[in-house]
Amino acid sequence: MKRALLTIVAIGLVSVPTPGRAADAGRTLAVRAGRILTVSNGAIENGVITVRDGKIDGVGVDLAVPKGMETIDAGDKVVVPGFIDAHCHLGLSLNAMAEIDETVQPVTAQMRIIDAFDPTADELAQAVRAGVTTMMLAPGGRNPIGGQTAVVKLSGDRRKRWLVKPSAGVEMSFTSDALMSDRRPTSRPGLITLVQENLDKAAGYESDTFAPTAEVLSRLTRRELPAYVRAVAVDEIDAALSVIDRYELAAVLVGAQQADEMAEMLVEREVAVICGPQLLHSQDHDLKRAGRLAAAGVKVAFGSFAPRTMSGDIRTSAILAVRYGLKRDEALKALTINAAEILGLDGRLGSIQPGRDADLVILDGDPLEPASRVETVIIDGNVVYRREQK
Amino acid sequence: MGFVWRGASDLMLDRGRWSCYKACNLVHGERKMIDVKNAHLIGTVLFLSLLPVGVRAAGPSAEGKPERIAIRGGMVLTISTNPIRDGTVLVEGETIRAVGRDVVVPDGARVVDAKGKFVLPGFMDAQSSLYVMASEASGSGGGSAEWSVADALDPFIERHEEVLHQGVTAVYVAPSGIGGFAGRGAVLSLNGATRPEKLVLKADAAVRASLGLSAGSQSSSLARLDDYASLRETLIEAQAYAQRQRRYRQDLAEYEKKKAEQEKEKKAGDGSKPKDSEELKRPDKPASNPTHEILAKVLDKEIPLQVEAHRVSDILNALRLAEEFKLSVILDGCTEGYRIAGEIARRKVPVVAGPVSTSFVAMPRLEYRNHSPENAAILAAKGIQTAVGVCGRDGLSSKFITLAAAMATANGMDRDAALRAITLTPAEIFGVADRIGSLDVGKRADLVVMTGHPFDADSRVEMVLVGGKVVYERDTTP
Repeated sequence: MKRALLTIVAIGLVSVPTPGRAADAGRTLAVRAGRILTVSNGAIENGVITVRDGKIDGVGVDLAVPKGMETIDAGDKVVVPGFIDAHCHLGLSLNAMAEIDETVQPVTAQMRIIDAFDPTADELAQAVRAGVTTMMLAPGGRNPIGGQTAVVKLSGDRRKRWLVKPSAGVEMSFTSDALMSDRRPTSRPGLITLVQENLDKAAGYESDTFAPTAEVLSRLTRRELPAYVRAVAVDEIDAALSVIDRYELAAVLVGAQQADEMAEMLVEREVAVICGPQLLHSQDHDLKRAGRLAAAGVKVAFGSFAPRTMSGDIRTSAILAVRYGLKRDEALKALTINAAEILGLDGRLGSIQPGRDADLVILDGDPLEPASRVETVIIDGNVVYRREQK
Repeated sequence: MGFVWRGASDLMLDRGRWSCYKACNLVHGERKMIDVKNAHLIGTVLFLSLLPVGVRAAGPSAEGKPERIAIRGGMVLTISTNPIRDGTVLVEGETIRAVGRDVVVPDGARVVDAKGKFVLPGFMDAQSSLYVMASEASGSGGGSAEWSVADALDPFIERHEEVLHQGVTAVYVAPSGIGGFAGRGAVLSLNGATRPEKLVLKADAAVRASLGLSAGSQSSSLARLDDYASLRETLIEAQAYAQRQRRYRQDLAEYEKKKAEQEKEKKAGDGSKPKDSEELKRPDKPASNPTHEILAKVLDKEIPLQVEAHRVSDILNALRLAEEFKLSVILDGCTEGYRIAGEIARRKVPVVAGPVSTSFVAMPRLEYRNHSPENAAILAAKGIQTAVGVCGRDGLSSKFITLAAAMATANGMDRDAALRAITLTPAEIFGVADRIGSLDVGKRADLVVMTGHPFDADSRVEMVLVGGKVVYERDTTP
């Protein structure tokens, strides 16, 4: 799994030039704060972060800040890595209920969600204000094999520097949402059969034939791309695992609400879970699941499914999960480094350490306190949001 | 532990077996497993022994004195006054008898040590659907001003106690029809009662209507103009109805008066018919109409009109209705209120803002398109009486009330204003502030003891009192 993800990172880095290089060459910034939650290396009290060319240059207490370097003095406030919304549908110019799937065909692996993304969409601003700096865009869950996900940053400019991964994986769905009355599959067994037919076909794919769907799926079976598999209930997760096992897929479960009940099986397979919005649950029993999942050793991140819920509410999900049993440090990891690892981007995102992208959020309190305000958001070393002082 | 069940005697009566089993567990502490036969035996004994206590708790005890509970030494956030450090709240029967630093704790009072803890009034969710079946709460389609949510309550709704355990002691619930009048809403108490009418703290707290709600998030149309037109039409009809009724009452009074005079003359006279006597005709009683009857009260400002409106045009239409018919209007939802906060403030109309996050709602409607999490903060900053509701996906979501208020704080609302927005302000808006919403002498003892400030993530509810009864106590045994 790890090797597969590393390969993915490598592909991502090769296919997309490291953002920021040209525009931010030589640009520097220093951020002072009362508390820096590095995620990778604990908390630093009264520390400084220096930034060069959009990357974190140094982190520490006794860091020399050259005279004249632009400095943000955040006083006693708290700095954390930018939050990563591991699963959403923002910037697609859609309203909450609209289709994001090409539902006439059940298998649309060649479809790329990035081709529908508008980096200047208004709704992205609200996500930024809540401290979200990166997100994974995904097709909806109405196709068994829905299309390719993408990873973007919320820096909002038009020069494609926001594009982190145009193809980050393939969205699959084992939920009843993927069943239709007027096309295959109409049943759960039919769904599994259909997915297997397609993956079998992909295994025999030869690169000199033109078959875009099979081409993408062959990358899935070669573990060059991970599968993001939607499965909510135990039986759906079970079905998903059977396919994951059979084709040895590098897979991540999405919105797997009842995954805690099969945590052991997930740990064995190193399958991570992108939890759905916790506010969609109201029973204590369900609110405890994310905490149980993490306690069992499953890697957990949060997805907002925005616009279904607000992207910034991945933080609310983490806060709620903490209230119902998730450990605090696990919750912060879920919002940052865990999501980065799941997306194969932990070499760039998710922690505050030299060499990582300077994606930082300054809050006036602990990020897991619901009343803490997001004060400043920095992406690639540029301030993209600053709260108005009233 | 007996007091827990004394307080919850209502629950016990209806869930006897389960409660007995639980009571046994509590009494025996570490003894987790008891055989069923034994449990029943002990349970029955306990049940019987507690029963008279339960009855006594409601009224004066055998000695004629009501039960007293002193919650001592806590950080008392009364909401109506400045916080009292090291304060004591004395509860007698169902009422708060004293609040302050130097409260003398009478002999025989149960003392609850609240040192290092926070004591506050119970929270109120003004956008709840608790005790209403989930499918009914989210139902579309119209209603009528006459419909009363109080007639559709289910006190046995599953897991409702989870809401109480988060410190919520009251909710405002209303029918949720889309377009026009939906029906009468009520303030309910989370007192554990098993008779629907016993849950009701205030019936007819408001009549709910809505303007411009789309049935889903797919589309909207100018059909929403029909909402406004039909509300006006119905109100005009109700005005005419009220006038007819008023005239009838006047005419009837006149008739009764004249008739009495005639009788008098008849008695005084010689029995011959007075010359100028006219043939008296009893006025015809106009047909009675229950819907108009309720709306007449709305027109008299006896019942406020709660109008759910989200978009600027719909909010302005609600304000126009208030002006045209001289109504006391409560704006509900008010999603785009931040765009016309000055206008709302000028009309002095209260707002139940919500949801702070669209993540709370079951299905975001098109009207939330311009939703801002800063809405409540902006409205409150303008001086508008602003309550914060959860507006959750189902009744259980009311348990997120402190989270919703804390999130309003994160989005710019003043911390004290946000706390008031889930206690005293909704109580004021729905006309129950004389009884609940703050820790004041004479008010009902609906209060919460927490381990910290309600907006802090680690704070836990330790104890909840409703009407002076301990209805929840956190099990701190490991």
